[in-house]
Amino acid sequence: MAKAIEIENFSYAYPDGTVALDKINLSLEHGRKLALIGPNGAGKSTLLLAMAGFVKGTGRVVVDGLEINRKNLKKIRARLCSCLENPDDQLFMPTLFDDIAFGPLNMGLTPEEVKARVGDALQTVGLTEMVDKAPHHLSAGQKRAAAIATVLSMAPKIITLDEPDGSLDPRNRNNLLKLLASLPQTLIIATCNMNFAAALADRAVLVDKGRIIADGDAKEIMSDSKLMTEHGLEVPGTIR
Amino acid sequence: MHHAHIDKFAYQDSPVHRLDSRVKFIVVLVFTAMVVSLPRTSVSILACYAVGPFALLVWAKIPLRFAFKQILLVSPFVLVLALSCPLYDRTPATVAFGPFSWRLTLGWMRCFTILGKFTVTMSALIALVSTTRFNDLLAGLQRLGLPKVLVIQLGFLYRYIFVLIDRAHHILQARQGRKLRSLGFKAELRIAAAMLGSLFVRSIDTAEHINIAMQARAFDGKWRTLSRLQIRAADYIFALAAALFMAGLYLLVKPVLQ
Repeated sequence: MAKAIEIENFSYAYPDGTVALDKINLSLEHGRKLALIGPNGAGKSTLLLAMAGFVKGTGRVVVDGLEINRKNLKKIRARLCSCLENPDDQLFMPTLFDDIAFGPLNMGLTPEEVKARVGDALQTVGLTEMVDKAPHHLSAGQKRAAAIATVLSMAPKIITLDEPDGSLDPRNRNNLLKLLASLPQTLIIATCNMNFAAALADRAVLVDKGRIIADGDAKEIMSDSKLMTEHGLEVPGTIR
Repeated sequence: MHHAHIDKFAYQDSPVHRLDSRVKFIVVLVFTAMVVSLPRTSVSILACYAVGPFALLVWAKIPLRFAFKQILLVSPFVLVLALSCPLYDRTPATVAFGPFSWRLTLGWMRCFTILGKFTVTMSALIALVSTTRFNDLLAGLQRLGLPKVLVIQLGFLYRYIFVLIDRAHHILQARQGRKLRSLGFKAELRIAAAMLGSLFVRSIDTAEHINIAMQARAFDGKWRTLSRLQIRAADYIFALAAALFMAGLYLLVKPVLQ
């Protein structure tokens, strides 16, 4: 069976020459929950964009057996779905229904299938009652859940999430943790919140200055206080 | 932050709210055309026209105070136009309504007609917007043949106007928090330009992110939506009642037109 993600020697520099990703090598099996940890500006978000084919650098990125190139991009987008950091960027349609139906409609599903997908996704994130609401009428926690529903409705094998816990209060963060933990998909989560990463991930990859510094068991990496402090991070309270 | 003034009552539930957006839109469009085409001498008949939109507002449980506030909010331009009429047309005229009659000038009559038409058409528009969710209105307009690209633009405008207002508000708050004294007109103007520039750059940034979010969900340049509009028996009854009401109004105004 093909791996969820295989990255070989991937490098990318911004147009001004600043190196964002430097010789990244990463391999991830299906069904795993991977935390991409690192300080601000480490390259976590750029790495997520590279996995979805939004960043074109040198090297090789393979998603579920398909190498990222123009020909495969549509198939890849149906298998790997990205959830952006700001839910206001993710939720661009006038209502929640339209937003969640957007992906399935683009995949060419029938109206009945689309409605069923929307209903299932809303039920999973607990927003069934909000189906006709406009995104600006939702709270921060609801917006985050809705943003996840927009990718769940596409039934992808892999979901990437950029700082999913950002600006959430503890209750909403716990709800989000429960939701993400219950998902069967391969999850790749970029976060600066070590408690969030420790609660969810079984594997961690520490990224700093565009390079992979450490890769392995989440608890093992995050309990190394010297490593964490060196890279502007902290040992999560649940591990300490 | 919540901005709910535009669609404050559109999410309520009432028989009017449940009507199909296309039917409501067509009724309001035809009604508005009828009001606008009324001759300036039929100022008193306007009172009968007003019954329609205000009845809809009451039926939909939209507070009339809200409707009047909205009308007042957009009235300044029309007020200037209407109040200038008595200044240049002083021809004597008589207005009659049943057994009552008043003597005034044609300028005043035109002024009252403009104000009356404005109030009646605005109340019809408020009745439409307050009882129809914006996305349903857009879906209805699309089904009625409005170009898709315009519907998409309006959809994005409605979605992001609130985000933009929030951002502008935050920038102004940040400025206010550090404004300890006035720096003079030129410096203030420079700061205002920088704030506008920041808002513009962030808007471009948002647009880029939205583009990524769309492509991430298999968007290939073709806009696909699922319309859930459905015309029911209540819509036919409403359309028939509206047609009868407007036919009655036409019969009322017919002698004036001849």
